[in-house]
Amino acid sequence: MAALCKWRHRLKPAGFFQNAVRRQLSDKYDYDLLVIGGGSGGLACSKEAAQFGKKVAVLDYVESSPKGTKWGLGGTCVNVGCIPKKLMHQAALLGGAVKDAHKYGWRIPSPITHDWLTMAPAVQDYIRSLNWGHRVQLQDKKVKYLNLKGSLMDGHTVKAVSKTGKESVLTAGNIVIATGGRPKYPTHIPGSLEYGISSDDIFWLKESPGKTLVVGASYVALECAGFLTGIGLDASVMVRSIPLRGFDQQIACLVTDYMGSYGTKFHWKCSPSKVEKLETGRLLVSWTDLDSGKEDQDTFDTVLWAVGRAPETRALNLEKVGVKMNRETGKVCVSADEATSVPHIYAIGDIADGRPELTPTAIQAGKLLARRLFGKSSELMDYDCVPTTVFTPLEYGSVGLSEEEAVRRHGEDGIEVFHAFYKPLEFTVAERDASQCYIKMVCLREGARRILGFHFTGPNAGEVTQGFALAIKCGATYTQLMATVGIHPTSAEEIIKLHITKRSGLDPTVTGC
Amino acid sequence: MARQYEEVTVRGYDEFMKAVSQRKGKDVFAYFSGSKNEQGASWCPDCVKAEPIVRGELSYLPPGSVFIYCQVGERPYWKDPNNEFKKTLKLSGVPTLLRYGTPQKLVEEECFKKDLVRMMFTED
Repeated sequence: MAALCKWRHRLKPAGFFQNAVRRQLSDKYDYDLLVIGGGSGGLACSKEAAQFGKKVAVLDYVESSPKGTKWGLGGTCVNVGCIPKKLMHQAALLGGAVKDAHKYGWRIPSPITHDWLTMAPAVQDYIRSLNWGHRVQLQDKKVKYLNLKGSLMDGHTVKAVSKTGKESVLTAGNIVIATGGRPKYPTHIPGSLEYGISSDDIFWLKESPGKTLVVGASYVALECAGFLTGIGLDASVMVRSIPLRGFDQQIACLVTDYMGSYGTKFHWKCSPSKVEKLETGRLLVSWTDLDSGKEDQDTFDTVLWAVGRAPETRALNLEKVGVKMNRETGKVCVSADEATSVPHIYAIGDIADGRPELTPTAIQAGKLLARRLFGKSSELMDYDCVPTTVFTPLEYGSVGLSEEEAVRRHGEDGIEVFHAFYKPLEFTVAERDASQCYIKMVCLREGARRILGFHFTGPNAGEVTQGFALAIKCGATYTQLMATVGIHPTSAEEIIKLHITKRSGLDPTVTGC
Repeated sequence: MARQYEEVTVRGYDEFMKAVSQRKGKDVFAYFSGSKNEQGASWCPDCVKAEPIVRGELSYLPPGSVFIYCQVGERPYWKDPNNEFKKTLKLSGVPTLLRYGTPQKLVEEECFKKDLVRMMFTED
């Protein structure tokens, strides 16, 4: 009877009918695994599945941004996220290093200037080489790559549409949704769509963005405003409420304080009301100060919206197929094994509800899923204690709980917070202000004092934090930390030397050697 | 049989760059090989192995494109890390098959895989 239901809605066009007949007769699918989305998660999952000799296909399709930006295989991280972000952050850091170099004896003519037209093409070329690298890898591992836009038809069937509108139907034993997310536009603000850009566009601009207003206070907003300031542009950030929501707020303020002292302008508790284009081509942004109610305006060359990311579910046809989504977030509900509400359909990466929006977790989840599906493994992805780093001008690395979350779970009396303000050695001769270089270790108060959360602001925060992620994963305690010898002279050794508690009220500033 | 692409044979860096500059705006594919001696044998064994595989896929080249067969030089010239191919064109090994002006390239053993060669010739 169920078979009849399926046949009925596939009676036209003929091609669909033939596929249905074929499936009923042979009970075989076109693919063992069909992955929709060729980003961090999708590529990792498909390549791992192919290792088991399975027939795998990846559908990757990039809908251009409202401004018209498009890119190749690899997803957000490669094309409009982590990679170009870190490279441009590096460009900005180098500008700072050149300024410091004078104090270290280098004779460099000043002032130095930055050329967007040298940096951007170099970054874009590298991204294109990664697109190609991924393409070669897929081909080499015998994963079929299709530059088609996929949507679900039923639990085992996907409709695929090419950029010219040609349709085809593919069937698979298992389907993985890994379509990720895209930047949100505040469409209720007049002019936002027509005149503003997003992180999808900033890295691909053919010309310098010039004087830029970044609206938002997420890490996307702060990282972008950070490197724009660092390469010498006039950059402002407009924040509606708090910076880096979800992160330790004490640290978030240190990050924005540093940015402010290094030239990024902040408009706190303000919200844009409209964006208009002037005859000169520049943009006039009007906004409201949410506390005073006062209106203000300024002109910019570029307005960058960084007000959140929306999951790419619209075109997938999920409701019709019965894939449950979280009504609030719009993301796909998944269980611990990445399964959705429909058998044989899974979701990984940014599209999955409750998961970190990070490349390494998407990759690892994808690999483990492939191993469970085809490799007889039962290992689930462990989303606990995932380390991250925000690549703002003052970098912030963390793993584990924020202080607020630790207090929520264990009470203020249940935790001990060790902290220190330190000065990186490199800052001394360079006469750099280190007021926001800070380390905080949140531990359980009883017993050996297990480390619950680690927070570090300073240069190379990502490199510093990685090792501590392993320690925390192993259940490291403050006692073990005290028994560890530091490497001298480094900033990281100050972590090992933490001894002042917040509870003591003593001054946490580290003095000399 | 009419070929859809133009084949050019050059020796050395200067000849290669000249051939490229004369074909601005075209889709240029280049195969770099260790030079062959009078007997037609190359000092580079991988180049010898890859050449028939690459040539076997030439019919998949897009119409109007250019295929440049470039002999880079003798072994000592190639081994010098400062030779122009390595310095300016950023070649890391021979054989190399690349699409000029794009990051698309296949290096050494990758050239043995005819499906990769075909992929480069047929995909955007």
